[in-house]
Amino acid sequence: MAETVNVVCTFCGSVCDDGQFDTEKFKSKKLCKLGSSKFSEKERIKAPMVDGKEVSYEEAIEKAAEILVNAKKPLLYGWASTVNEAIRLGVILTEKVGGVYDQCASVCHAPGTLAVIEEGLPGGTLGAIKNRADVVVFWGANPMEAHPRHGMRYSISAKGLLIKDRKQRKVIVVDVRPTKTAKLADEFIQIKPGYDYPIISALRAIISGNADAVPDEVGGVSKEKLIELAETMKNAKYGAVLYGLGVTQSRGRDRNIENAVKLIQLLNRHTRWVIWPMRGHYNVVGAGEVPAWEVGYQYAIDFSRGYPRFSPAEFSAVEVLKRRDCDAALIISSDPVAHFPRAAVKHLKEIPVIQIDPFPNMTTLVANVVIPSAIAGIEAEGTAYRMDGIPLRVKKVVESKYWSDEQILERLLEKVEELKR
Amino acid sequence: MRLIIIKPKTEFVVTVEAEITPDLAEKNVEEIKRFKVYYGKDRVELGELFEVTKEGDDKKLVLDGDFSRVKWIGCRMSDGEIVVKGNVGANCGAYMAGGKITIEGNADDWLGAEMRDGEIVVKGNAGNLIGCAYYGNATGMSGGKIVIEGNAGNYIGEKMSGGEIEIKGNAGDFIGTEMKGGTIIIHGSCGFVGGDMKAGEIKIGGEFELVPTFVMQEGTWVGDVNVKGEGIVRKL
Amino acid sequence: MHHMLHIKNGIVIDPKNGVKAEKMDIFVKDGKIVEEGEISKNEAKVIDASNKLVVAGGVDMHAHIAGSKINTGRTMRPEEMRVVRLIANKFRTAVGRVLLTSPAIGYEYAKMGYTSAFEAAQPPIGALHTHEELDSIPMVDKAALPVFGNWHFVLKYVAEKDMEKLKAFIAWAIERTKGFGVKVVNPGGVEAWMYGGNVSSLDDQVPGFNVTPREIITSLVKATEELQLNHSVHLHCNRLGVPGNYETTVESIKLVDGIKNDSRQVLHVTHVQFNAYAGDSWRTVASGAEAIAKTVNAMDNVTIDMGQPIFGHATAMTGDAPFQFTLHRLTGSRWSNKDSEIEGGAGIVPIAYLPKNPVHALQWAIGLELGLLTDSDKVVLTTDYPNGGPFTEYPYIMAMLMSKKMREGELERVSPFVQKASNLPAIDVEKSLEEVIHMTRSLPARVLGLPNKGHLGVGADADIAIYDLNPLEVDTSNDFEKIYKAFKTAVYTIKDGNILVKDGEMVDEYWGKTYWVDARGKADMEAIKDDLNEFFSKYYTVELQNYGVEERWLKKPERIVI
Repeated sequence: MAETVNVVCTFCGSVCDDGQFDTEKFKSKKLCKLGSSKFSEKERIKAPMVDGKEVSYEEAIEKAAEILVNAKKPLLYGWASTVNEAIRLGVILTEKVGGVYDQCASVCHAPGTLAVIEEGLPGGTLGAIKNRADVVVFWGANPMEAHPRHGMRYSISAKGLLIKDRKQRKVIVVDVRPTKTAKLADEFIQIKPGYDYPIISALRAIISGNADAVPDEVGGVSKEKLIELAETMKNAKYGAVLYGLGVTQSRGRDRNIENAVKLIQLLNRHTRWVIWPMRGHYNVVGAGEVPAWEVGYQYAIDFSRGYPRFSPAEFSAVEVLKRRDCDAALIISSDPVAHFPRAAVKHLKEIPVIQIDPFPNMTTLVANVVIPSAIAGIEAEGTAYRMDGIPLRVKKVVESKYWSDEQILERLLEKVEELKR
Repeated sequence: MRLIIIKPKTEFVVTVEAEITPDLAEKNVEEIKRFKVYYGKDRVELGELFEVTKEGDDKKLVLDGDFSRVKWIGCRMSDGEIVVKGNVGANCGAYMAGGKITIEGNADDWLGAEMRDGEIVVKGNAGNLIGCAYYGNATGMSGGKIVIEGNAGNYIGEKMSGGEIEIKGNAGDFIGTEMKGGTIIIHGSCGFVGGDMKAGEIKIGGEFELVPTFVMQEGTWVGDVNVKGEGIVRKL
Repeated sequence: MHHMLHIKNGIVIDPKNGVKAEKMDIFVKDGKIVEEGEISKNEAKVIDASNKLVVAGGVDMHAHIAGSKINTGRTMRPEEMRVVRLIANKFRTAVGRVLLTSPAIGYEYAKMGYTSAFEAAQPPIGALHTHEELDSIPMVDKAALPVFGNWHFVLKYVAEKDMEKLKAFIAWAIERTKGFGVKVVNPGGVEAWMYGGNVSSLDDQVPGFNVTPREIITSLVKATEELQLNHSVHLHCNRLGVPGNYETTVESIKLVDGIKNDSRQVLHVTHVQFNAYAGDSWRTVASGAEAIAKTVNAMDNVTIDMGQPIFGHATAMTGDAPFQFTLHRLTGSRWSNKDSEIEGGAGIVPIAYLPKNPVHALQWAIGLELGLLTDSDKVVLTTDYPNGGPFTEYPYIMAMLMSKKMREGELERVSPFVQKASNLPAIDVEKSLEEVIHMTRSLPARVLGLPNKGHLGVGADADIAIYDLNPLEVDTSNDFEKIYKAFKTAVYTIKDGNILVKDGEMVDEYWGKTYWVDARGKADMEAIKDDLNEFFSKYYTVELQNYGVEERWLKKPERIVI
C-alpha cells in the first residue's frame, strides 16, 4: 500500500522532522536536496561478506567478534549516523573488548567539546533562537550549503514569539570568504584565515571597556568595524553565535571556541547571548551524549585498562591510526578511508577491518568483514539528537531485509561475550 | 649495581603504557621484570616486552632503543634519572615531582604535563601540550624545568603556574595561554602568544604573534587585559 | 533469583506500619512482601538477619540523575570522571567522583540500600533523553518530574485563569513526557531570564505575560489537586541562592494554607537549604531555617527536603537558569546554560563546598538546622544531588541528625561564622533511628504518593535493605561512626525480591521500573487541542506529532492511571 508518511530526516544536524515520504515511490517531499538524496534509492551493500565472499549475518558477526576479541586494542569508530540505541551497544561493546571508542566529532566539532570542558556551553535550543534572536552571527558556518533548511526553520528567516519578520533579525556572517550564507546576511565580515582567536580577544576587550589596547586592525578587520560589531552585540536583545567547522578546524580549534564562550559569558553581563555549534551528522550529538552517560566522556575513549580514559591527543581515531596504535577496527556508518589523512588510511589497510553500513563506500574496499545494515530513519527506528540536543525519534517507514545497527550490535555483543567466556 | 638498562624486545603492535620510574632501580632484576605494564588490553610483565639488565651504581634507568610507542615513562617520578636513548611516547614525565629525564630523540605530546619539579631535557623535537594541564584541571606545570633543544608543537605551558620551559628552536601556536606564573623562553619563532595570560613571563627570540589585548609598558608587553592580567611578553 | 525469601530474626523498623525496632521475620514472594503463610518455608531462601537492622529500601525523591543537565555536567567535568569505582568485569565499569555515570548511579544507590530514585527536573522537550538515561541506570526504580513553572502554555492558562485547560495541559504534558508529577522551578523567573532578568518577589510581573509567580504556584497547586496526581506540586522557590530569600520561601509555603489532601501534602518545597537565607548581602547573610521550619511545622499540608551540602566537590545544576548565571559570576567558574524553546531553561556551574568558607559552612549548617528543627514527618533527607554534593553521603546526614556529639566535632572544623549566623550549635535535638528511617523511606514514599514503597507491610514492593546495626543496642548519640559505616554499605539490598547486594558487594544486576502517571481521564483533553496546534506551529521547532515519548520506547514502564 502506497502511502505518504511523516519522516524525520537523517542527514544533517538540523534533523528536520516535517519531511514527507512516499513509501512506494521511495521519494521524499519538503526536505532539502541533501535530505532528499538520503531518502531516495541508492546502491546498497548487498549481503554480509567476509574477505569478499557473501556469508550469512551470523557468520559475518561471528568473524567480527573473533577479530575484536583477538585484538590487543581495537578501534571502534563512526557512530554519528546511527541511532542512540546502537551507539549505547557500541559503547558497551568497546568496553567489553578493551578497545577505543571514537566518533566522527573528533574530526569536526570535538574542539567545541574541549571548550565546554574549559568554559562551559552557554546555549539554547534552536527554538529559543527562532523565537527570540534579533541578532544571529554565523561564525565560520555556512548553513545554506551544509544545513540548507536551518535558516528557514530556525535561524535566518524563521519567525517566532518575538521575531515576526525577517527584518526584525540582523544576520551577520563572519567568515574567511563570501559564502552562500553571507549573501543572505545583513552583514558580512571577512576575516583573515586563522585569525578567529585574536579577533574574539579584541571583541572581548572592546566590550569590557579596554578598546584602547586593541590595535587599528586585527585579523584583517579594522578596529572601527570591530567596535561596530561589539556595539551590535551589546545592543542585541537576544543574540546567538552559531559556529561551524571554519572555527573548529582552523588554526586555534578549541581555543577559538573557548575564547568565543568567554565572549558570550561577558555579553550576558549586558544582555542575553547564546552560542551553539552547527553540528554536522544527524546524530553526532548522540554519538557523544550516549558515551557521556555510559562512561563519562564524549569521544576519544580508551578502555584498555577496563575503565574509560579520555585523551583526544592519544585516542582520537586519526591519532590512533597515524600512530598505528590499534590492531583492528570496526567502522560503523562512516567512511574514514575517504576522509582521513593518508597515514591514518595506510594503517587501516594493514589491520583487520569490520564495516557496518547500509551503503558501500571507500572503507568497504579495505574491510575484511562487511555487514550491511538497515537505514535508520527509513528502515529502522531509534533516537537521534538534533544539533541542539533535542531528542527525536527517527522512524521505520519501510520494511527491509537488512538487520538494523541495533540488531547487529546486539548479536555482536552476545558473540563477544560467548567468546570471552 | 643500580643502573637499569631496558631494551624493547620487538616492535610493539600497539603502544605500551609503562609507568616506570627510577624507583625500579631499587629492585632486583627479577622484580623489575615482573613490573606490570599495559600492552593494549593485556596487562603483562615488563620482562615479556623488554630485556632488562642491571649495572652501574646510580638510581638511573637507561631506556635503550625506540620508546616512541611507550607512554607514561617517568610519570610521577620524584628522584633519580631516566635517559631515553631514542624517541619517547606521550605523557613522558607527567606529574613529575623531581629527578631528571633526558630524551636523546624526540618526545611525543603531553611532555611534563602538570609537572611539579625536576628536569626534562629533549635533545630532539617535542610535540604538543608541553607542561599543560590535563582536561578539566586548573593548573599545568607548577615547577621544574623543561628544555627542548629542537622545535616544539602547539599549546606550550597552558595554565602553567611556575617553573620554566625553554625551547631552543621554534614553537607552534598558543604559547602560555591562561598562564598564571613561571617562564617560557622560545629562542626561535612561534605563533599566537599570551591569550588570557594572568601572570608569568614569556621571552621570544624570533617572530611571534601576540594576541591583540596586551599593552606596551616600558618596553615590554603586559596583559592580557581581558583577564586583567599582569603577564609579561618580551623579546629575548 | 529466588521467588521466595524468608528474612529471619532481623530487627525491623517500619515507621509507616508502627514497627519500632522489633525482632520479626519478613516474607517475600514474587517481588512483594507477603504474609508468612504465603510462602513455603522449604523453598524460600533464608536470610539470617540476626542482630541486624531490616528496613525498606531507601527512596530518593529528589536527585538529578538523568538527562541533559547531568550529562552536560559530565561533559564539562572530565576531572570528575577520573575517579574509577569499578573496572569492567561482571558489572559495567563505573566511574565518577560526585558526578557519576549512569551505571555508577544505580550501583552506588544499591550498595547504600536505596532502591528508588527520582529525577527531579525533566526538561519536557528533552524527556526522551531523560528516559534514555533513566533506562541506563540499573538496580533502582525511577521516575522523572517534568518542569512546568515557565512553560508558555502554563503562563497563558494561568493568565487566562482557565483551570480546565491548565488541568488538561498538565495531563497532556505528563503523558507526553512519561513524567510523574509537576515540578516548578523559579516560576516566572526563568522566563524573565530570557530577557536577562529574574523575578525578585512573588508579585513580580512575568515579562510578556500578565501573571506573577504567586499566581503560577497557586494555579498549579489547584490544578494538581483537582487532577489528584500521586505527587503534589514540587516547588523550587523563587530567589534561590539570594540572601533574604527565606521570606519568599515562607510566603510561598503559606500560599497553600487551607488547601487539603487526605493522603499527602499539597505542596512539597525542595532543597530548602538554598532558599533559607536571612540577611541582605553575603556579608550579613544568616540562617533563615528556623522561620521556615516553624511555618512548615504549623501547617499540615506542606513537606520539604533538605538539600544538604556536603563538604567537597559538587556541581550546581538546576532549571533555574538565572541563578546559575549569578553563581557563575560569583565563582568565575565554567557555566553552561540552556534556554529551552518556550519551556524554560537550565544552567550548570561546578562548585566546591569548603568547610572554612563562611558562606559554605553556613549553608551546611542551614541544611542541618532544617533537618533538625522541622518535624520528622515533614522533612526528607536529600543533598539535591549533585547540587549539594553526593547522594552517597546520606549516611553522614543521618548520623549527624542523630548525634549532637558528632555535630559538635564537625562544628570545630568549619568556619566560626556559623556560630553567629546560625543556631546549629545551640540545637540539642537528636533524631531517633526511627525518625531518620522515616525521613529516608516511608516519608519520601508518602510525599511522592507511592503506597507500595518505603515500608515493609504486606503488599509492599519487596525493596528491602539490611544493615549491620542492631537498633536495640546502638547508642545513636555516641556511636555515630558505627551508624555512618553501617548505612554506607548494606549487608543486603533486595529489590523486587532479588538480592542485588550482599555484604556490601553487588551480586546481581537488575533493571527497575520507570513510573509514569496517566491523568488524561481526569481532564477534558479536547480543550487544549487548538492551542497545542497553534503553539507548535508558531513557536516550536518540532512537529506536535513528533513531540514526546511513547511507552514502548521505555525499558520497563509502569503506568499509573488516575
